[in-house]
Amino acid sequence: MSGGKGVRVLDEENVRRVVRKGYSEIAKGKSLCCGSSRVCCDEKTSVAVSRSIGYSEEELASVPEGANLGLGCGNPVALASLRKGECVVDLGSGAGFDCFLAAKRVGEEGRVVGVDMTPEMVDKARANARKGKYWNVEFRLGEIENLPVADNFADVVISNCVINLSPNKKRVFEEAFRVLKLGGRLMVSDIVLLKLPSAIRRSVKAYVGCVSGAMMKEDYLKTILDAGFQDVKVVEETRFPIEYMINDPTAKALIDDLKISRKTLISLDNAIASIKVSAVKRVK
Amino acid sequence: MDMLACPIDKYHPLELYVFDEKNEIEEGLIACPKCLRWYPIREAIPEMLPDELRKENDDLPFLEKWKEKFPEKILLRGKPFCLGKGK
Repeated sequence: MSGGKGVRVLDEENVRRVVRKGYSEIAKGKSLCCGSSRVCCDEKTSVAVSRSIGYSEEELASVPEGANLGLGCGNPVALASLRKGECVVDLGSGAGFDCFLAAKRVGEEGRVVGVDMTPEMVDKARANARKGKYWNVEFRLGEIENLPVADNFADVVISNCVINLSPNKKRVFEEAFRVLKLGGRLMVSDIVLLKLPSAIRRSVKAYVGCVSGAMMKEDYLKTILDAGFQDVKVVEETRFPIEYMINDPTAKALIDDLKISRKTLISLDNAIASIKVSAVKRVK
Repeated sequence: MDMLACPIDKYHPLELYVFDEKNEIEEGLIACPKCLRWYPIREAIPEMLPDELRKENDDLPFLEKWKEKFPEKILLRGKPFCLGKGK
């Protein structure tokens, strides 16, 4: 990841540490994002955001309360593709929202494994699994760059607005490739950049708000191809609405912190997109 | 256990040692027989983190607590932390 002239390049470890801490605070409900402003973890707001990114009312009503933190950019397409009996791995499973929806689709013969590196999130997800009696979902504390999953295990790897937070995306896609069976599919949604706003890129805080770690779209797709995947397709692309950014408390704090002008902000409106990508592992 | 692999060398299958079991395994140990890395199960969650995210302050007391039940090879030569010399 390179910054422009005079921009501090964040080292991998530092990014990882900050991301972990940021999400741990969100899980505990006391971060800047959720504690002081009461906006993003408010169940009503989470549901409104989730509905607008494509989850159905039925899906939203079906998961245990507290599993949907309203943090993702949405992965309903991936969920819709799941079949009974499939094994699914969710990268960055958070409080478990997508895992629980996936669990319903794969049924009792199927399995869902959620991996997340934030202990507080895994605790939360596990409590939610118990609450909702999801016996076919397991959660592992682990890193998506070092998946604790055996080779050729999964039919599908899903991930919802997480990979952009990784300082080593190449490694994440290589790991996804490794754990997939032959014929297995990668179905991820993520935030990518259509152009490069340097004011955003240099801030660690923006990482947790999902934006700054994002790659240029072409680079993102190339990274997936380089990991060995075939049939790499963007199945959906939505411009990330600037209202979400402005209303997102993390982004708000960031905007204040970086003293981003209104003009810069408006320029970001066409810079960020949410994409849903599918790809297939055809060869070893 | 049928799906777990060592996050570092990807070895599978891993060894499981159960210390405390109720409905689920509350506390236990997962060990990689190849690289001798060990991963605690605490509050029923397998903690499969790479070395740089492990905390000696959390993991050594866990090792001390269950040292009677830890396999000797992990106790003395386990990674990233152990009770053997030259740890």
